[in-house]
This record gives sequence, structure tokens and C-alpha cells, in this order.
Amino acid sequence: MSRTLETLAAWLLGLLWIAPLAYALWAAVHPSMYATRFDLLAPLTFDNFTAAWAAAPFGRYFLNTFLLVTSVLAAQLVLCTLAGFAFARAKFPGSGLLFGLVLLQLMILPDVLLVENYRTMRALGLVDTILAIGLPYMASAFGIFLLRQTFKQVPKELDDAARVEGCGTFRILMRVYVPLARPTYLAYGLTSVSFHWNNFLWPLVITNTVETRPLTVGLSVFASTDQGIDWSIISAATLMTSAPLLLGFLLFQRQFVQSFMRAGIR
Amino acid sequence: MSLTRRTALATLASAPFLAAPAVQAQAPVEITFNYPVAVGGPITKLIDGYAEAFSRENPGIRIKPVYAGSYQDTLTKTLTSMRGGDAPQMACLLAVDIFTLIDEEAIVAWDDLPGSDAPWLDSFYPSFLENSRTAGKTWGIPFQRSTIVQFWNKEAFSAAGLDADKAPQDWAEQLAFAQKLTKREGGQVTQWGLQIPSSGFPYWLFQALTTQNDVRLMNAEGTRVAYSDPKVAEALQYWMDLSQKHMVHPPGIVEWGTTPRDFFERKTAIMWTTTGNLTNVRRNAPFPFGVAKLPAGRRRGSPTGGGNLYVFKSASPAQREAAAKFARFLTTPDRAANWGIETGYVAVTPAAWETSAMRAYVADFPAAAEARDQLPDAVAELSTHENQRVTKALNDQLQAALTGRKAAVPAMADAQAEATRILRPYN
Repeated sequence: MSRTLETLAAWLLGLLWIAPLAYALWAAVHPSMYATRFDLLAPLTFDNFTAAWAAAPFGRYFLNTFLLVTSVLAAQLVLCTLAGFAFARAKFPGSGLLFGLVLLQLMILPDVLLVENYRTMRALGLVDTILAIGLPYMASAFGIFLLRQTFKQVPKELDDAARVEGCGTFRILMRVYVPLARPTYLAYGLTSVSFHWNNFLWPLVITNTVETRPLTVGLSVFASTDQGIDWSIISAATLMTSAPLLLGFLLFQRQFVQSFMRAGIR
Repeated sequence: MSLTRRTALATLASAPFLAAPAVQAQAPVEITFNYPVAVGGPITKLIDGYAEAFSRENPGIRIKPVYAGSYQDTLTKTLTSMRGGDAPQMACLLAVDIFTLIDEEAIVAWDDLPGSDAPWLDSFYPSFLENSRTAGKTWGIPFQRSTIVQFWNKEAFSAAGLDADKAPQDWAEQLAFAQKLTKREGGQVTQWGLQIPSSGFPYWLFQALTTQNDVRLMNAEGTRVAYSDPKVAEALQYWMDLSQKHMVHPPGIVEWGTTPRDFFERKTAIMWTTTGNLTNVRRNAPFPFGVAKLPAGRRRGSPTGGGNLYVFKSASPAQREAAAKFARFLTTPDRAANWGIETGYVAVTPAAWETSAMRAYVADFPAAAEARDQLPDAVAELSTHENQRVTKALNDQLQAALTGRKAAVPAMADAQAEATRILRPYN
């Protein structure tokens, strides 16, 4: 009995989750007069996608977003691994205080720092570059915290054994700690990529030109409510821009779910 | 440590600027122009075109338009970059942001710019200038301006036995027409008589109703509001009654963005919306439609809306002169007419309506002139110090009343109390 109930609840949640996506798909492949009318025989069309693609330089935006998320993720992985390892295993004076400062950063919303970040980027001469969009996020407090916790769970014996075999600190990190933290890396990578894929306000503020703007800023071309909203084109554009993320998620679904369970991110 | 490094970097980064004045004599004057539209739409092509044409006429000046999304996004971006020491020289922002921009000490008055003069500043429609002037100075140049008009479906009017060419002229007629136009099948309404959007910024459409009920929502100094005036509650009651008592208007909150689509799909026979939608409706309505001034209550009326051009304090004297030149270039009769024809926004000077291009356009599409003819009855859009919070106080209570959670009089009294509290420092 309770099992049926659970299955039912799972289906209900699943349907609720998929409903917006299903609607977007429906609206995107039909002419806009069918956007809010359900008719199985409605004619199919690809025009919404072509119209959306033509409305903004999406090719360039895709490239920008790709450069942005990969550069941010690469920098985050390197920085957070090293910092996390130091906080987990190295003993140095003031490590507790420093880690407290890192944790403090977790409590601050990035939007609060908008002006200060802008000032820094301007001082560095980086306004209107892709690097400027990513730079404030590269030393991620969340990543450091997460990897520190993961590294702490690695049995000290493995560390000692590797040392007996003659490994240096860096090789221990690469051969023992990093492989054991793979689920954490995967889970963290996913949250990081999807966050930067969807980020809007900071990229909008710090960029001025087509050459540097990411997809989300380009997508806002369809949100000009002054002229009224065309659900079909918005749906087409949304599907288009989120397709790589969606595909990635569907393909690697099992790995993602498992790594989330193991990494304990909820 | 990090402080000194940052200072060092800052000095390094600013070194080229320190050396700049010597070079500036020959280099073209560049103006960054923040514009509230996202990249790619038809409007960006127009603006890019104007900027290029201007540079061709004035080889020493380059205009660099930066498209920044919605009005809200553009304001955020502009103020953030300003506080970050990198303000644009010029921007198109909401006319109602005037007090916010003055309080932030962000902008300069146009009167003080080299190359601007009184005849030019007086050449705009007075109802557009109402939102652009305060304390005896002109802070914004009307550019992307609009008012609210009613669109009606002529087919639906004929089907309901009404004169297809006559829009409702007053509140009583509007209700009577809407009653005839509302179609019910069983318990379901298939076509509403009238739709007044109430999502996002209900205060703007509500201000049309209050103006028609002959009451002003705020004073010219932007320091007081009159939300608790009995006439305001009366106007709200009329709006509430349309849906809650007479059931000729959809219940609850009506989405602003999808109202044009509801109109195209015949879900509503009359809609109130901005003149900025004119081109959209003309392109997409699958039936003959009419455009008219809003109906009269005690009087006719609508608020104006849309964006003004502002010049920022960051502009150097050369840039200020260039900005004034560019604004004059944008508002010449021919260009203002072209802008109005291409977008549906109301051309901002009477002279623009006298150009041959505009005359030909109006002869072909008389609806375009309706918004202009409403201007003598139009009033300034609600705008005060702490504008966002003061209008939000009204928006929240309006939505509470429209969803049936509050009665009109207490809702407006609560909005007044909140607004008075916010405005206390300015009184």
C-alpha cells in the first residue's frame, strides 16, 4: 500500500517537474496561435526556432557561454583542490581563522558585491571581457569547503601508505585524494556549470558588447514586455539555449544522481 | 598586502588615462549610450543606424550604444557602473526615474549643457515634459514615450450588435459595451468584454482610471502621494466591479505581457495597453481592429509612459556638448517622425507630426494619431522620490484588492500609510 503511494507520489512529482518542459516543447514546435490551445492535429513547424536564432547572434553567445563556463570550472577545480587539500591536511598557524573567512564568503550573496566587483574589474582593466564575468567566482568558497570535507574523509592510512611508497605531497594529492573525490568533482562541476550557464545580472552589468555577452543576456531580447510576449518564440529560444545542459543531464543522469548521493550535496 | 597590490594595479590601469588629455585633442569624442533593449531586436538596428548617421554628420564624435535589456536592468547596470567609477555619458531610462537619478547625483540638467537652448527644450509636448522637469530645470529629453490607449476588435463589436467603428466613450458606455461583448458558454467565459492588465506595474493602468476620475496621484515635487483620496478608491472600485460584480473582465491579476495575445486570440474584445504595441497589433491581429483614446470618467485621461534621455555627470565638457548635439539630432522632426512610424511610440514634438512622412503614415493608418490626440488630456506618470518603493506600496495594495483579498478603501489607506512613511525624509 505505502509502496503504491510512494510510486504515485514519485510520478506526480515527475510530471510536475516535466510539465514546463513539455509545455515549452509544445509551444516551440507549433505556430503561435496554438501556444495556449491544445490540439493534437495542430500543424508542426520549425519556424519558431529559425526566428529565435535570427533574433540575436546566438552562435556567438553559445561560444561565449562555453568559454565562460569552461574557464570558470577549470580555474575552480585547480584552486579549490589546492585550497581544500591545504585546509584538510596541512597544519599551519591560523588555518582555522582562514577557513572561517572562507566560510564567511559562503554567507554573502554575490549580488551584494556587484559594485565592489565592478570597481575591481575596472581597476584591472577587464570591463567587458569574458574573464571579468568569471573572475569573481573562481575562488569558490563552496568548492573549497566541499573538497575539504571530502578530503578529510579519505583514510589517513592511504596517505601514509603512499608516503611510505615514496610519493611527494603533490603526487599524493593527484594519486590518492583526487581520484577518491571524483563523485564530489562531478557534482560540484554540474552545479558550477549550471549556475554560470544561468547567471544573468553580473554578466549583464560587466559586459557591453556582443563579443563578450553570454546566452542569458542574449535571451532577454525576448523579454521586452512592451511589445507583448510571444510564447512560441520564447519557448523555442529557451529550449535552444538550455539544450546542451538538458542533454548533458539526460545522458549522464545516473552518474549525476549517484555522485550527488555520495557527495552529500542536497 | 592585497590592498597595496590593488592600488598598484589601479595606478597601472589608470596610467593610460592620465596620459590621455594630451592625445584627446585629436581623438574623436566617444559617448557611451546605454539603451533599454536587448541586442538583436528591430529597435537596435534603428538606434545603430541613428548613431552611424550622426557620426557621418559629425566626424569628431562617436556614439557607442550599449543595449542593456529591460528598463530595470538598464537602470541597475547604469547605476552599478556609475558607482564603480565607469558611468556612461548618456542613457535612455524611464522618465519616472528622474528623482532617483537626481537623488543619486547621477545626472546633469539639459539647460546647463552647451548647445541646448530654451526653444528646443520647449518644443516637446507639455505632457511629456511634465515628467522631465522639476525644480525649474529639464533633466530628461522625451524620446521613447507612450500613453495608454484602447484597442478593440471590430468583428466582435459587429457580432455583439454594436457599431464596429465606435469605441466606448465613457465609463458607463464601457461597462454597457463590455456586458454585451462578454460571451458565456455554460459556466465558461469564451470572450471577455474588456481586459486591463494588472501584473508587474498595475499602478500605470490604474493611473489612467484615477486621472479619468479627476484626481492626481502625486505632487510635482514628488514628495507626496494622494492614494487615500476618496476618488482614488472610487476608481479602484470601478475596476474591481468590472470583474467582481459585473463579471465582464477576467478575475484576479491580468498578465501584461500576454494581453495582446489574448486580444489576437479573441479572448478579450477590448484591451488597454501601451501605444508601443501599435506595430505589434497591426502585424498580428487576424481581424480588423480600432484604436481609440481611453474612455472618460469625470474627464478623459491617461498617464504618459516610457523613457527619456539623460546625460550623466561623468561626461567631460566635450562629451556634454556632443551629447546635446546627439539628442537634438534624435529629436529633429524628421527623425522623431521616423522613430514613431517604425516603433509605434508617440513622436515627441508637434513638428514631427507635420512632416510629410508622418502625414502620409497617418493618412494610411489614422489609428496612429489617436495617442497624440490624447496628449492634451495626459498627465505625468506616477513618480516620486524613492520611486520604486512608493509605487510598490500602491502595486501591492492594488493587487490585493483585485484578487478580492481587500476592499478598495482600506487597501488605498494602507498604501497611503506605507508611502507616507517612505517619503517622510523628503517632507
